[in-house]
Amino acid sequence: MEILAWFHELLDGNLIFTPQTLGYYWDGLVVTVQLVFVSLLIGLVLAVPLAIGRSSGRRWISLPIYAYTYVFRGTPLLIQLYIIYYGVVFFDGIQETFLWPLLREAFYPALIAFTLNTAAYTTEIFRGAIKATPKGEIEAARAYGMSQALMMRRIILPSAFRRALPAYGNEVIFMLHASAIASVVTLMDLTGAARFVYARFYAPFEAFIFVAVIYLCLTFTILFFFRYLEKRLLAHLRPQS
Amino acid sequence: MADTPIPLEVRNIKKRFGDTEVLKGLSLTARKGDVITLIGASGSGKSTFLRCMNLLEQPDEGDLIVHGEEIRFKQTRYGREPADWKQVVRMRAKLSMVFQSFNLWAHMTLLENIIEAPVHVLGKPKKEAIEHARALLERVGLTARADAYPAQMSGGQQQRGAIARALAMDPEVMLFDEPTSALDPELVGDVLKVMHGLADEGRTMVVVTHEMSFARDVSSEVIYLHQGLVEEAGPPQDVLANPQSPRLQQFLAPKY
Amino acid sequence: MLDLHGYGPRLLEGAGVTLQLAILSLALAIVLGLLTASAKMSRSWLLHKIATLYTTLIRGVPDLVLMMLLFFGGQMALNVVTDALYDRFGVDWYVNLNAFAAGVLTIGFIFGAYMGETFRGAFMAVDHGQIEAGKAYGMSPWLVFRRIRFPLMMRHALPGLSNNWMVLLKTTALVSIIGLTDMVRVAAEASRATHEPFTFLIPVALIYLLIASLSEWIFARLQKRYNVGFGEH
Repeated sequence: MEILAWFHELLDGNLIFTPQTLGYYWDGLVVTVQLVFVSLLIGLVLAVPLAIGRSSGRRWISLPIYAYTYVFRGTPLLIQLYIIYYGVVFFDGIQETFLWPLLREAFYPALIAFTLNTAAYTTEIFRGAIKATPKGEIEAARAYGMSQALMMRRIILPSAFRRALPAYGNEVIFMLHASAIASVVTLMDLTGAARFVYARFYAPFEAFIFVAVIYLCLTFTILFFFRYLEKRLLAHLRPQS
Repeated sequence: MADTPIPLEVRNIKKRFGDTEVLKGLSLTARKGDVITLIGASGSGKSTFLRCMNLLEQPDEGDLIVHGEEIRFKQTRYGREPADWKQVVRMRAKLSMVFQSFNLWAHMTLLENIIEAPVHVLGKPKKEAIEHARALLERVGLTARADAYPAQMSGGQQQRGAIARALAMDPEVMLFDEPTSALDPELVGDVLKVMHGLADEGRTMVVVTHEMSFARDVSSEVIYLHQGLVEEAGPPQDVLANPQSPRLQQFLAPKY
Repeated sequence: MLDLHGYGPRLLEGAGVTLQLAILSLALAIVLGLLTASAKMSRSWLLHKIATLYTTLIRGVPDLVLMMLLFFGGQMALNVVTDALYDRFGVDWYVNLNAFAAGVLTIGFIFGAYMGETFRGAFMAVDHGQIEAGKAYGMSPWLVFRRIRFPLMMRHALPGLSNNWMVLLKTTALVSIIGLTDMVRVAAEASRATHEPFTFLIPVALIYLLIASLSEWIFARLQKRYNVGFGEH
């Protein structure tokens, strides 16, 4: 109770962090989490087949995928966002389709840009992990008469996913931080809320330090989640004590 | 004789790592032309003692006098440290060390390794340093390898190169830290031959070694260390041919 | 031929701004990174804590938020100072925080933290015996650093350094948001004005790719140089 009273006093005592602005931050948090979570999820689903294709010996499969990851990893996400946000209008006939009401809003172009971007990075992370599969495990699978597909599904991918975990954790944090640019295309994500509060009260320190702390908390949550996952999934790689 | 200062004098060195006292008060005097060998089982403290002599390890107690100049120490919260690092740098330039694992600088050719300290520490003109280095390379039999990188040379070649690097400093005293221990048996001979030659020309040397033949044939004094203390010391014909302490007798006994 | 509607020269100027920004930030990041790595390896408890706090905070907060905090907050702090000067001493002096300087400072500050981690790992990978050999031959700490520790460390640091540079290069695009006229800002402005986003944004993307590919080539050559003597020619 005392804490609540103290909190009320704190809120009463300042003009910036009113229930209303805290509401903006909360809405921003929801937008950021939605944007990041959904794009990561779709990106992950896309990345698995792309990574398998990228590891393929057939160049007509691996080369186009490499071109895609090279372009998306070699250019700033901001450019990708602009191209999709400003460019989506120019697809012929798109304004007549059912997609248009969605694409007209900033959320979906941003989601598309983020998804394509994270899919490219994740593809390369998985490719590296697939490439690092111990030769002996592959030979053993062949020796037992596994087909290419069975081997991929049962042997290579499960071990590659585990190996990719630390790098993928970094990618998740990277996406969270990169999503801050959504505010540039008028989205009211966390950073958008901070910019709004800054502009309204001309209080840069309060507005941005507050949002920085929220991002810091989110980052550490992700970090600890992946540490926990690594502990569970990579337990077999640690020497027995 | 009295007017030339003693190259290296060490008095009552004590050193502990955590709770274990590894050096319990060791002294040594290297006069001009002395070849002093330190022998002892592993863990006896002989390498640590040698490393205290050029302050790669900081002794907790004891004095160090190089060429008549006493090193000053001060007490800090990390322990006892030299009071003046410039003095240490000056003193180290007079003692050059040859390491067990050679420690040639991997990013420089052999020739560059040899001229590095003379040019940058002693301020020798580069041309002169190169001339000197070539003469030293010839002496250790590595003329052809001047432009090779350490990774391209055998262990024996690297160690002879490292000796040339030490000689290039014109040191008052050369410190050898088990110079042949990391070498394949067939490569030991070449390195020992070079060391023999150095002793013959009157170099002052302090050598930590397991090579008893070297200790017997070359040294003017042999010091046998046991658990951080001098167990027996003296000329090799006494210490090695006629050991008094049972531990040294056992240490010297041929192992079958 | 590509019709840039007269934006060509400005786009080129913007590219110059991007490149200058990236290179200056890199220089600052390298200096800060070396300092951070030294602090992390130092015996001083306080320095170690400060460096850890710095790297943790930087890696936990989005670049854009840090940039806005420094840019808008820095401007406000400057205003407070200049207002005080006016009130107390009647000095009429107004300083506008330069977006370019703010960009270099923030990007350098952010990547200093990443560089710190890269350098620390690389310093720890250097064979200690070779450092000792330097000390044993009477080299001063600075001479050991310059002639031995640094060149040996660089061989281990280059892959990380190259990676940081690639990320840094892309991060420079963010300064367009706080008002610096780099090539991204010019392209975005032109896109809005002409309703031809692809005409401007795709060439800019290609310039980024070009710089990235060029850097890759340069880093490969550098790696070759620092690998000298390690049998990997």
